[in-house]
Amino acid sequence: MRQFGAILKDSFREAVDGFVIYLMLGLSAVVVLIVGSLSFTPAPPPEAFAKIVPGFSAVFPEKGRSRVFTGSADQYRATDVQPAGGGYALRLGVTAQPNAGPLPGDNGDSFRQAVAAWAKPAEKAGEVEVGGKGKGGRKVDFGVQSASVEEQRAVTDARMAEFIASQFAVQAGMDATVTRVTTNVAEPEYAFDVTTTGGSSVKGWPHTTKIFFGATTLNDETPLGGVLWLIEDVIVSRFGGTLVLLVGMIITAFFIPNMLRKGSVDLLISKPIGRTQLLVYKYVGGLTFVFLLSAFTVGGIWLALAVRSGYWNPDFLWAIPILTFTFAVLYAMSTLVAVVTRSAVAAMLLTVGFAFFLFVVGQIKSGYDDVRAERPDAERSAWVGPVIDTTHDVLPRTRELDVLTRRLISEGTLTPAMQRLAVQAAGPPAPLLATFGVSLAHIALMLAAACWWFGRRDN
Amino acid sequence: MSVIATHELRKSYGRIEALKGVSLRVEKGQIYGLLGQNGAGKTTLIKILLGIVSKTEGDAALLGHPAGDAAARRRVGYLPEDHQFPGYHTGHSLMDFYGTLYGVPAADRRRKIPETLELVGIAGRMHSKIRTYSKGMKQRLGIAQALLHDPDLIVLDEPTDGVDPLGRREIRELMTRLKAKGHTIFLNSHLLGEVELICDRVAILQQGRLVREGTIADLTRQKGRYEIGLAAGEAFPAAALAKLGYAVHAVPDHPDLSEVTLADGQTIDPVLKLVAESGLRLRHLLERKQSLEDAFLATVEGAEPGVDARPGGRRAPRPVGGGDDR
Repeated sequence: MRQFGAILKDSFREAVDGFVIYLMLGLSAVVVLIVGSLSFTPAPPPEAFAKIVPGFSAVFPEKGRSRVFTGSADQYRATDVQPAGGGYALRLGVTAQPNAGPLPGDNGDSFRQAVAAWAKPAEKAGEVEVGGKGKGGRKVDFGVQSASVEEQRAVTDARMAEFIASQFAVQAGMDATVTRVTTNVAEPEYAFDVTTTGGSSVKGWPHTTKIFFGATTLNDETPLGGVLWLIEDVIVSRFGGTLVLLVGMIITAFFIPNMLRKGSVDLLISKPIGRTQLLVYKYVGGLTFVFLLSAFTVGGIWLALAVRSGYWNPDFLWAIPILTFTFAVLYAMSTLVAVVTRSAVAAMLLTVGFAFFLFVVGQIKSGYDDVRAERPDAERSAWVGPVIDTTHDVLPRTRELDVLTRRLISEGTLTPAMQRLAVQAAGPPAPLLATFGVSLAHIALMLAAACWWFGRRDN
Repeated sequence: MSVIATHELRKSYGRIEALKGVSLRVEKGQIYGLLGQNGAGKTTLIKILLGIVSKTEGDAALLGHPAGDAAARRRVGYLPEDHQFPGYHTGHSLMDFYGTLYGVPAADRRRKIPETLELVGIAGRMHSKIRTYSKGMKQRLGIAQALLHDPDLIVLDEPTDGVDPLGRREIRELMTRLKAKGHTIFLNSHLLGEVELICDRVAILQQGRLVREGTIADLTRQKGRYEIGLAAGEAFPAAALAKLGYAVHAVPDHPDLSEVTLADGQTIDPVLKLVAESGLRLRHLLERKQSLEDAFLATVEGAEPGVDARPGGRRAPRPVGGGDDR
């Protein structure tokens, strides 16, 4: 164990010897500082609820669990908003559209239709484009949920209250206690007394975001979770993560070729340490470097965001181990190439090429899956599907790891409704066992090959 | 138990045989010198002993363990030829790193690192980055790292390479002190004068074969050649000795001395008896010796240097006295 510690320390010394690491740490520190300069000002409660409740017209069936959503013509408004305990008390009014029929009031209305549809399984009816067509556009399912007059009339006050509470949770990430008010309110008008918890530090609460300590306004009355997600997922996890991986591949590509240099390797092999141990410890040293780098960057940004926003989302910290695991896949390849060629340049180029290859395979697989889902019966070449599936199945799943990070970050920041639009539309999550299992098998295989080569080679 | 023991040790790099059945023994407390031209197989032999290179055939044991065994390596300190220390370390941190790999406890490392660096004369720069060290300082650091864990066997491959004459003398004295403390030193050096000064036994490798082995006295003795001098004014009985079959020559620059060469089966005793019976007075008798360099050159004279067949090794033969060795 002491030998392991010594090699870790040695790898760390090697890593901090060059300027690239300081450049990277400096860049991370600047990003942390910029994030630390953000300010999040919650909208006043009446304005916030006025912004939140109109979104309740989007209904997710299966009691809010469905990925498919349906719309309703109801108009929601919040009045009499008052602080209550740790949250707020308010009156929620709903103006529904009565259904056409021979007996007014007996044919149901759009609110009862929405509540009945909310409680039923989803019926997929089509797709809408979110974010515009072209790059960045995403197709999201929507449904035209129907409920019979009998089903609408069967909706109870308790079911309505349950629906409203669900809407607060799904649309605003807010826990709410709801009671229907019937005094002086006649259908198709509805009223509910609502008490929320969590104050304004909830995912869906509109905030005004400013940067550089209030000097510049970034956005006005945007849900807090949406802004946090934009920073954590798009800026940090995707762009920052890619940069960390790239810098990690460059810096650590030198570790093993340097160790294997003539005159250097003799000194190490002559010590009472096995070659396999030596190589594996050095490999772990590279991983530790990337772990520390991502922990510094992600941890710093997480802390700055939490302190400045008052919203503590530990899910963002999952980015650290997942990023390190992704790097472990790539560094195993770098280690194998380094042992065989003893060249840092070869290790660097082949590893970056390997990472790009995995990215392309992931993209092809994702695109092909979409095409297959859209047109399952379309005629295709007999070999294309199996080749794409097999190639994807046997290779490490870096794209799935990326999607997993996005999913975890979104769960911590976005409201369930936003999650479904932004992340879950990409499809169901990949099985974790396969994602990690295949990647782990690759790491083991490449390291075993590297150890075998190093072990049998005369130095 | 011998500290080093090899028997019919062979190593082939493809079709090239680097070692062709080398058998030798090094006993505890000796300073043992390994000589040979470039490509003779010296470094290959050391690397096999330390497990850096695998043997092809034969046996090799170190401190009673099979060569390359971790238990043996724990008790060996090694300074390789053309070593490259990571420039990002300081002398102190490198010693700490290697000391930890050897399993030296932290408290011992804290105490012994400055002591050992002081011993080799670079304690004053121990907190400077190695990339700022001169070649001689790196060499001294290399020796220090080989001594830190108080090993039973110290293997030094060209330890004085790049060191100035004063430094060489200090290193020689250090080796002598280590020997006095019971350490065994296995030394590979091209500087034959140094080897002659400090080694107890020497082996000469030639194209992968052990061609001579013995004490310095064994190797430098010129069997059958004597210098004889008589009292002033007395003439040497050269003619009488020639009749007895002895070859007598004058010694250049020493007109009062004669050199007598014995043929096979002859001894010096009849010469001394003749001198005494002739009433001559013997004043000088010396069995002629040669320097280790002379002995070495006589051994390898006419032989082609070997071929460096190691991975990455240079293929062309190189002159004696520089460059890499096998």
